[in-house]
Amino acid sequence: MNEFFVAVGLGLCLLVFLVLYRVIFGPGVFNRIAAISAIGTKTLIILLALGYAYNRVDMFIDISMVYALLNFIGCIAAAKYLEMER
Amino acid sequence: MIVSSDDIIIKTIARVFVPFIQIYALYVIMHGHYSPGGGFQGGVILGASMALLLITHGYDEVKRRFPENVVLLMGSVGVLIYAGIGLTCLLLGGNYLDYSQLSVILHVDPAHARSLGILGVELGVGFTVMAIMYSIFFDISTGGILPGDEKRKGELEDNG
Amino acid sequence: MAYILDALSILCLLGGLFFFMTATIGLLRFPDFFTRLHATGKGDTLAVFLCLIGFAIHEGLSLTALKIVVIAVFMFLAQPTATHAISRAGIRHGLKPWVKGEERQ
Repeated sequence: MNEFFVAVGLGLCLLVFLVLYRVIFGPGVFNRIAAISAIGTKTLIILLALGYAYNRVDMFIDISMVYALLNFIGCIAAAKYLEMER
Repeated sequence: MIVSSDDIIIKTIARVFVPFIQIYALYVIMHGHYSPGGGFQGGVILGASMALLLITHGYDEVKRRFPENVVLLMGSVGVLIYAGIGLTCLLLGGNYLDYSQLSVILHVDPAHARSLGILGVELGVGFTVMAIMYSIFFDISTGGILPGDEKRKGELEDNG
Repeated sequence: MAYILDALSILCLLGGLFFFMTATIGLLRFPDFFTRLHATGKGDTLAVFLCLIGFAIHEGLSLTALKIVVIAVFMFLAQPTATHAISRAGIRHGLKPWVKGEERQ
């Protein structure tokens, strides 16, 4: 069962590489911020799958909770900064 | 001057989440023995919760809860706790930050005294890091000038 | 009984992986910023919720499963708020929505 979880994590790693295209080539800064938020969401699941690979899930849950918090706060701070009129 | 956001969804969600973020930060400070965490990480999460409140509600709301002199006071109190525990161990006859000497005051065996000593030191570090994170965020975003202090702003611009 | 829980957990994880894949394809292929926000805001939220429920079912009744459920509830409330905040910033900054017949941006 643990191998299945690790395989899901590896599949999500491939999806992160696909989203990186939008980070590099997105015209303008708004596309890049949306793509960074999507990468952060996928990283949360990859961290839990890594916890199953090492057989120590309890340690990786705290780390993934902190990452979800920081992703949320960063997205709101970036949106407030970019809200000025052109 | 940081103005408040004029959207009711963002303000409500931020107001709901900030107490839970702070409780989670206290859990991270307390669990430094057994899981990733400790004083510095918990202090950063506490500072991030104050930054979230500052972004969504503006400076007028946060000024009532966390005014400027209280921020500097908390930074100093954290360092006082850290150095105070170290000096107490020195006064009781051991080395600096040798927590086993605390068993004289607390009436427990030395292994327990070491565990409690580290917990106290982590709390002090958490206080200081929270105050400094808030202070850095506020100073960078407004240039250190409180609203209503315009005369000083003219002085600072004259001096360069 | 253990087989049913394992099968349910695998089903939830595969559903989450499917929604992640469609959200990523939408982020790459849609023609405008606001349509891409639709794809990633809704698809990613549901996918994260399903994946975390799959992990929690595998653990059974313990403290670890409770912590995973707390993360799932937090993501379910916070991710749409972040999407709302950044779309408001896009409107205020002056971006115009895409009309059929224009070129891709």
